[in-house]
Amino acid sequence: MNAPGIPAGRFIGKRMPRKEDPRLLTGRGQFVDDIALPGMLHCAFARTPIARGKIVSIDTSAAREVPGVHMIYTAEDFADQTVRMRGFFVEQEVPVRTPPLCEGRIAHVGEPFAMVVADTRHIAEDACSLIELEYEEEDPVITMAQARTGAPVHPSMADNMAGMTGVDEIGAELQAKLDKSAFVIEEHVVHQRVAQSPMETRGIVATRDGPEEFTLYITCQSPHLVARWVTLTLDIPDMSIKVIAKDVGGSFGLKNNPWREETAVMIAALKFGRPLKWIEDRYEYFIGANQAREQEMTLKLGFDTEGHMTCGHGDYDNNNGAFPHGPGDNLAVHLFMWPAYKMPDYGFVTRGCYTNTPGQAAYRGPWQMESLIREAALDRAARRLNIEPYEIRRRNLITAADQPATTGMGIMVDDITPHECMEMLLEKFDVAAFRKEQAAARKEGRYLGLGIATYIEPTAVSGIMSSMTGEFAQVRIDPTGRVTASLSTHSQGHGTATTMAQVIADRIGVRYEDVTVFEGDNSTGAFGPGAAGSRQGVIAGGAAFTASDMLVEKVKAIAAHMLNANAESITIDDGVIHVAGAPEMSMPLRELAEVAHGHPARLPEGMVSGLEAQYRYQGLPMVMTSAAHLCVVEVSAETGFVEIKRWMSAEDCGTVINPAVVEGQIAGGLAQGIGCVLLEEIAFDARGNPTAATYKDYLLPTISDVPEFEFHHRNTPSKSTGGMRGVGEGGAIIGPPTLCNAIIDALTPFGELAIDLPFSPTKLLGFIEGRDLSGGH
Amino acid sequence: MSDHDIAMTINGRRHSGTVESRISLSDFLRGDAGYTGVHVGCEHGVCGACTVMVDGRAVRSCLMLAVQADGADVVTVEGLAAPDGTLHPVQQAFRDEHALQCGFCTPGFVMTLAALTQGGARPSEEELVGALSGNLCRCTGYQGIKRACRRLSGSNMADAGEHA
Amino acid sequence: MKPAPFDYVAPQTIDEALQILADAGGGATILAGGQTLMPLLNLRMSQPFILVDINRIAGLQGVSRVDGATRVGPATRQFQALGDERLARDLPVFVEALSHVGHHQTRNRGTIGGSVALGEPAAEMPATAVALGATIEIRSQRGTRRVPAREFYVGPYLTVLEPDELVVAIDYPDWPQGHVTLFREVTQRPGDFALVGLVGALTVEGGRIARAGIAWFGMGPTPIAAVQAEAALVGKALSEIDPEAIAGLAVADTAPFTDHHASTEYRRTVGRRIFARQLREKLDIREAA
Repeated sequence: MNAPGIPAGRFIGKRMPRKEDPRLLTGRGQFVDDIALPGMLHCAFARTPIARGKIVSIDTSAAREVPGVHMIYTAEDFADQTVRMRGFFVEQEVPVRTPPLCEGRIAHVGEPFAMVVADTRHIAEDACSLIELEYEEEDPVITMAQARTGAPVHPSMADNMAGMTGVDEIGAELQAKLDKSAFVIEEHVVHQRVAQSPMETRGIVATRDGPEEFTLYITCQSPHLVARWVTLTLDIPDMSIKVIAKDVGGSFGLKNNPWREETAVMIAALKFGRPLKWIEDRYEYFIGANQAREQEMTLKLGFDTEGHMTCGHGDYDNNNGAFPHGPGDNLAVHLFMWPAYKMPDYGFVTRGCYTNTPGQAAYRGPWQMESLIREAALDRAARRLNIEPYEIRRRNLITAADQPATTGMGIMVDDITPHECMEMLLEKFDVAAFRKEQAAARKEGRYLGLGIATYIEPTAVSGIMSSMTGEFAQVRIDPTGRVTASLSTHSQGHGTATTMAQVIADRIGVRYEDVTVFEGDNSTGAFGPGAAGSRQGVIAGGAAFTASDMLVEKVKAIAAHMLNANAESITIDDGVIHVAGAPEMSMPLRELAEVAHGHPARLPEGMVSGLEAQYRYQGLPMVMTSAAHLCVVEVSAETGFVEIKRWMSAEDCGTVINPAVVEGQIAGGLAQGIGCVLLEEIAFDARGNPTAATYKDYLLPTISDVPEFEFHHRNTPSKSTGGMRGVGEGGAIIGPPTLCNAIIDALTPFGELAIDLPFSPTKLLGFIEGRDLSGGH
Repeated sequence: MSDHDIAMTINGRRHSGTVESRISLSDFLRGDAGYTGVHVGCEHGVCGACTVMVDGRAVRSCLMLAVQADGADVVTVEGLAAPDGTLHPVQQAFRDEHALQCGFCTPGFVMTLAALTQGGARPSEEELVGALSGNLCRCTGYQGIKRACRRLSGSNMADAGEHA
Repeated sequence: MKPAPFDYVAPQTIDEALQILADAGGGATILAGGQTLMPLLNLRMSQPFILVDINRIAGLQGVSRVDGATRVGPATRQFQALGDERLARDLPVFVEALSHVGHHQTRNRGTIGGSVALGEPAAEMPATAVALGATIEIRSQRGTRRVPAREFYVGPYLTVLEPDELVVAIDYPDWPQGHVTLFREVTQRPGDFALVGLVGALTVEGGRIARAGIAWFGMGPTPIAAVQAEAALVGKALSEIDPEAIAGLAVADTAPFTDHHASTEYRRTVGRRIFARQLREKLDIREAA
């Protein structure tokens, strides 16, 4: 499993059992709702029932009479508190006023407009139901089409345009190239809105511990980032802020940064002086939390007669909702549309708009949409030329021989392997045999389809965007010989305490059991943005490599001094120090650690006592991960249901620290991709009411909706220390195009199926039957 | 509103308390009794994270009132491992097969499988997987969970070598 | 979300329960397995003054024989009925339908009567009661009445039950050994309510359909008996049955709706198809060339 160039690992590359699991499996994890502090009170929010309008009055008098209610806050109670709301890119304030509680303009259904503080959550909800909201309703702007012409969602803005990148019209030169192409494929994709849907909803416990200390337990993606966010957003530079998030029940982008409700609880905790808890319930989550996707895109691709791309243009719209975490989110990623391909000339425009719907947040795989439309368009071109999907990719992918190469979008690649990943799958899957099986099945009225997709993903971005910086590791050998480490990492299921311990144990030469990694608390480690952009394994892994190696140098120096040996002759294995050729001189690391900590006189002259090293690894600007996936589906012409019969993955994430963790990341992303294609949808009626507000209506994939995946690994080490490449998002990016291509392929006897997600049974059956079954819905 | 004195056995220990009618078993177990391994993921009975054993059968504790469990024998995920810390076979299978990531949904999966494999029972893999249709996991894509089911099932010959 | 406040009583006998229901003047809601009611309480969509828990009433539990019928106590848990050998032998389609109700964990707690009495139109058990010709025995302090399942359902979650009434038994009439069963449902995921489903039983005597009971679920505001199809089938020789035509009649009785999950036309189209396929497969009728 080890990559070339990486020494045979004692622990790197092994499926080590996770450090996190024993506590999580025995119910001893510590999630935010597990926190109970003395004197703690509970919060609940009253939420707006309409998508757009003006608040006329809020009457809290009846609610205040409920026994057990301590306080009810509305926006005016927070007027004296600075709130400069910001998203993941914490340096900038968001451009639209985003108040914790609705300040008079209602911008979507489910906006919090009052917060009750009570003895119990039950009582707080009782009181919320008694708060009377009087409002003047206005016609909402729900869809992107409505946003173009509708009255501004935010009266401070001239229109509903939230952000734009690129040029609105196709330039004359590009148009001429398109016109001259042998043929042009025009692909249009409608991508529904989805919910990130971590199994643990949002939540916070906030406590002001005297005038100068503020402690937050919050489910998040980085305690360090939250601390910085709180200082800046609430403008409280003089307060000491402690943020604790030991266990987090998934996030996927949603918990990148705190948002309105958490901020309201923080402000109330500062004002009220008792610990306050708010745990979002699932209904609130669906109506009030920020969501993801809802995009539409048109891609025009020109090809020559042989199927080589000549040029292209993308036109992309994104529904940002009313209060997006970042109005420019998802717009810049269009830059990463083509770096795996030979694309001579490409122009694009991306637009984000405001609507009267919940705001957008980050979601795993922000360039999933770009990958989806690109891969679907390539397959259509292949069908036009009557060649296999892999063949069109062979003609257009950048191969090893082409590198280094600067792609049409100005991105340099020198070690990507999407072509090689695809060939790896083709060695294991007989496409010709499948085509025979497919033809035979069609005669029986069974519709099999094959989907292939390839991609590369820029991971571990560092130093070129605010927040996305290096990662930190401090590694210590304590006097007992145990190794502890504090890192800037944070796990919402990523298993960083496991993978980082593998790196450290491996590099130092101690037992895996002897290493403990601490994270999940901003009082340990140092700043890091947490899990965002598939970065921790790569950059923090590099930091752990180097910090461990630095510590080994010190151990060797001390050992050489103590044993009167050459530092070069010293090795550490299984927690024991050995001198080459002198087995009788071996000594436990503990013995040396005792000296390093307690007997400074026995150390080499001038050496400071203690046994620790720390290192911040800045990493590379980005590290590319490559993959190819292949799946086989059968679409039922009787019901329009899709059955996934096989799914193969070949990915190249360089050095694999723990294959089980890597495969877990890919599989989790794929499951989300499958849900996105077949099941999940956040939709709104014409008045902006969500049509799915429970898990009964928002359909997450279950155990029987996800096939067993076959994993194949290529291991091209990256130039990053340790050779790792990021792998957290890939499955979510490549899953949808792979599956969509398979479904489209299955249904080619009925024509060219356009992508309008989700592919519900109603839509697919309607396509098969050549009639609209939707009833105009 | 009415309060009720209730008593039940939780993880082999007697636990009594006074609850309001509307308190769910999940809230009672988490709050009054302190078994925070019972996770509440939806409160409408779909996600399965709150699954516990009541009188030997896996049920959703968010869909039961605490007062209804008066006199019952309740087991939560905290009650599975041996006192010396040795993991229950279901917990061990989950650890060996990397069947969890964030761990929030995990207690519900584990309790469902623990109920079905009580007393050394070895249902088929299909039965075990089928019983998990009411448990949602957002992290793992269910791969390790399926492998754990295989390992716990009657059809399991030996631990599969492919993931050694 | 957390439920609004309510009182809770757990009577030990039917009479005690009826007394409570009578005294509550319409403010009481009966709690059986709670697998549908509890979510509604938690979402505050149901806010009763008093919850009457019938789980401790022994007289409402168990499977027994009455004259010409199998009597299922409404508080019988679904998992118990699933494991009941007599039900498996005598009413196999009841057990088949039941195995599709909710999930393992909800079947451990959910009851037969709860599902039947709640009247979710896309659920399996109300339609099964309608298809098999069950009779629902209802009691209040005003007396006992027996209502055919076909007259029990009024609308979504709406039945003829008065606020002071309690379902005390569901009697499923005997179907002869070896009768033909029909069951097919189309769900997006296991355990979801059906986009479209059908359940039924047929008896064949001397090569002719002697008796037919078929009902739809997920095809309208209530479970819907396929009465035109039943009438067309009865008396017909197997060789004369045109499954497509019968399925067309069956769909003609439905009134499906469009929602977040599927459209009216989808339900009709697929309903007709699965109905015809069930007839072909279960009656071994060859598809027309």
